[in-house]
Amino acid sequence: MAETNLKALGGLLARQGILVAFVVFMIAFALWNPRFIEIDNVFSVIRSSAILGVMALGVTFVVIGGNLDLSVGSLLSFSAIVVLDLHETPGFGPALAIPAMYAMTMGIGAVIGFLVGYLKLNSLIVTLGMLSAIHGLTLTWSGGQNMDIANQQETWFGIFGRGTALGIPIPVLMFGLLAAVLAIILAKTPFGRKVYAVGGNGTAATFSGIPRARVVFFTYIISSFCVATAGLIQASRTMGAQNTVGQGMELEVLAAVILGGASLLGGSGTVFKTVIGVLILGFIQNGLLLAGLEFYVQFVVTWIIIILAVWLDIATKRGKLWSPIA
Amino acid sequence: MNTRTKAMIAGTTALAGLSLAGAALAEAHGGTMTIGITQNNVGVDSYQTTYEEAFIAAAEANDAVDVVVLDAGGDVARQIAQMQDLIQQEVDAIIIWPTNGQAVIPAVREAHQADIPVIVTNSNIAEDGFDFVSSFSGPDNITQGSRSAEIMCDRFIELGIEDEARVVEITGQPGYTTAIERSDGFQDRLPEVCPNVTLVDSQPGNWNREDSQRVMEAFLTQYDDIDGVYSGDDNMGVGALNAAIAADRAEGITFVGATNFAVGYDAMGRGEYWGSIYQSPVDDAEAALQTAIDVLNGEEVPFLNYFDTPKITQDNMDEFDRPVF
Repeated sequence: MAETNLKALGGLLARQGILVAFVVFMIAFALWNPRFIEIDNVFSVIRSSAILGVMALGVTFVVIGGNLDLSVGSLLSFSAIVVLDLHETPGFGPALAIPAMYAMTMGIGAVIGFLVGYLKLNSLIVTLGMLSAIHGLTLTWSGGQNMDIANQQETWFGIFGRGTALGIPIPVLMFGLLAAVLAIILAKTPFGRKVYAVGGNGTAATFSGIPRARVVFFTYIISSFCVATAGLIQASRTMGAQNTVGQGMELEVLAAVILGGASLLGGSGTVFKTVIGVLILGFIQNGLLLAGLEFYVQFVVTWIIIILAVWLDIATKRGKLWSPIA
Repeated sequence: MNTRTKAMIAGTTALAGLSLAGAALAEAHGGTMTIGITQNNVGVDSYQTTYEEAFIAAAEANDAVDVVVLDAGGDVARQIAQMQDLIQQEVDAIIIWPTNGQAVIPAVREAHQADIPVIVTNSNIAEDGFDFVSSFSGPDNITQGSRSAEIMCDRFIELGIEDEARVVEITGQPGYTTAIERSDGFQDRLPEVCPNVTLVDSQPGNWNREDSQRVMEAFLTQYDDIDGVYSGDDNMGVGALNAAIAADRAEGITFVGATNFAVGYDAMGRGEYWGSIYQSPVDDAEAALQTAIDVLNGEEVPFLNYFDTPKITQDNMDEFDRPVF
């Protein structure tokens, strides 16, 4: 009995290598600086990770569907600038600005989804192009100016980034809720299974009668919805934004998704693992800061830890530290 | 956006007319002079956007000057190509806002060899290139850093905590000259004016409010006692302030920044943010144009031609206009 339990545990560890890596890092950092695991610090890390995390949830769908999305960073800048500008436009206010921003951001998502899904253009090229096109769009909208909410006391716009409910920061709740809903969609619905099928083998999926184009289209819709939500949290948290606020985030998002174990070739990955990937990135950044490491060193150490995590993940899967074949 | 397009068109057409007029104009001393400018990355932030608008406005107000306004979009290769274009067009002087202090030197040397004076604006090029430059016009970031240290120290003395205060610093983009110089100025000056104040930590906020907010959250977790925060600009300073307000610790902390932004100015007005350095992109742009004009008129111009960036605090903020960026 005990032996089967042990085996089951071993099997679980082998499947969840990234989770093991996560726990190892948490313990190591906590030993280094006990403040690391104080509840305030944990919440503040998850709250800062929520923006990256919400974006990563959407990109998980795109990646599992066999595509890439490099435009999410630019799209985040766009949504943050647009929602702030509309908020400041007389007659708008938050109640109108937020849905309008969602509509516009998802409109851009629909364009990308159309190009990649229906026209079958290479997603790397399309979203790389969109990265700069959307940046240009953001600059045109703002005229290059920063956006700030002038009267921060008289608006409820701040609750998405700064509010708390039941002692939990709202961004953390939004991240958790969205993760739960998307995890169910991906794992338990026919649509979710179609995403895996399309990413695993697009041709076979098409011959099985799965509408490949439509599935890919909707992965980008989900991605842009997530970016809009991230943009809302970002704008609300700082009550202002620069035009370049999301610059470079596309790679961090992709790193979190891949760190979580989703295959760049499509067809594998889960929402839960992406969440772990996001948390690892967030806690590494925070842990190194609390350890008081010099900044230039932090860059290097961050990437060493990421590589270690990926290696640990693969090593637990194959049961060996290294192998001459994959 | 519109003004910029218009300015580009205006600049190009003005130049076409000029080249038709040819040598006659070039010879006429005190006649029209053509000044080309290649900027770093207009539109990336409000400072640069306002700078360009002010530069064009100043040039339009001066009948003796025609300008060709170009923007490198943050791209070194494009800026070098723009320098070569301006040399080909035989403008009378070139103003450059370097995208990279080292990489643009060969292009600056080319202009120098073509007898076109080069004025560097806002952030200087590397020392190797100084021989090819007529003048640098811009803010003195080291002085800005030391002035921020003085503002902070004066405030600590007012509060009577100059013997025990603990300070954290949030710097700009690592490797960026402005960030390094401000930080050096601050760190060198602080022990001179307030020898017993401790600088406990320094981390970069990358000129980004969100990054700065995250760094400040970590500082607040790590240190129970923080009396002052120095940020490399107000945008980051407000990020740090947000973090402190969220943690309910803003009351006891003196926030000092640099490059006074509108958000910083407003936070000062609310009594949450103590002080900063007033650096106007309008002054910056006008100083660059004036330096170029002075060089062309053969006047003596100091090699490092700094424009003044005064201290601004809650006490004297009424003397300054709210920044437009």
